[in-house]
Amino acid sequence: MMIPVRCFSCGRVIASDYIAFVNRINLIRETENREPTPEEIKKIFDEIGVKRYCCRRMILSHVDLMEDVMPFD
Amino acid sequence: MELKILELEDRYIRFEIKGITPAIANALRRTLINDIPKLAIHKVIFHHGQIRDMEGHVYDSSTPLFDEIIAHRLGLIPLPTDLNMKFRDECDHPPDEGCPLCTVTYTLNKHGPATVYSGDLIPVGDEKFKPVDPLIPIVKLKENQAILLEAEAILGTGKQHAKWQVTSGVAYKYHREIKVKKKESELWEKVKEACPKNVLYEDDEEIVFTDDTNCKALAEILSFENPEIVEDDSWFIFQFETDGSLSAKDTLGYALKRLKERFSHLRESASLS
Repeated sequence: MMIPVRCFSCGRVIASDYIAFVNRINLIRETENREPTPEEIKKIFDEIGVKRYCCRRMILSHVDLMEDVMPFD
Repeated sequence: MELKILELEDRYIRFEIKGITPAIANALRRTLINDIPKLAIHKVIFHHGQIRDMEGHVYDSSTPLFDEIIAHRLGLIPLPTDLNMKFRDECDHPPDEGCPLCTVTYTLNKHGPATVYSGDLIPVGDEKFKPVDPLIPIVKLKENQAILLEAEAILGTGKQHAKWQVTSGVAYKYHREIKVKKKESELWEKVKEACPKNVLYEDDEEIVFTDDTNCKALAEILSFENPEIVEDDSWFIFQFETDGSLSAKDTLGYALKRLKERFSHLRESASLS
């Protein structure tokens, strides 16, 4: 539902980087009307500072269902 | 035994140690991962029922996430730690009570619609215990929802629970020398130009690189050509980063001290019997 606070494998805090990542992805989606390419995603991770692939998969493969769940009390 | 720091930032360190065995290197790695104390939230008291704010507006204390999930997330938030504090069970009072030497209390009070971040956690007492990273989302609240809780943070080690793990990405490798014969290689000039600091030795016939510092061009030589690699199993290059609760330098200092304590304890216990 919400992004896990830390990477499951190494323990680095990733929750704060998730928001920056999503903002950058949405920027590409809105200004260029397409999904980002793998090269662009790699560049975004490098710039945000998420180095190891264990942390990258936490962010990349997260499905945020919080907004879908919130209406149900 | 010789230790030299190669790269140091507030939360990241890369250093080399010469003259130890692989067993000692592994012992250091394991100590860095699970034997460094830090503060983390351990007990959370939620307010249930109605929550009123200053203007008298009434909110409901329900949240889209269960209380225990919120408590779990709170525990994982990195808190700045003072290594002079004591463990809860080593303090001079019954372990049920807290005191400023072993416990730090936080409160959290927010109403929706909003996202509750780690920056909203307020330490009762000293400002210096504010969470390191204020942007960790904890939970989202709707229009009529509010959250009111009190949390206690105590010292613990990674051995007990991962929330008390200070480091991440602790890794070590041998010091390597990569010997490339100039006439058998097409890539050595590219590497020399891209990473001049990685060149150890050069003469007319061969050039010797090290990968103590990462070098992308060197990775190409290693995959596509067949250089001679000599590893030194008593010379290690370590690196790790911390989550902000302790600085990388303090963490390393504590780990070395802790290892020394444990080895002395072992030596004394062994000699008695």
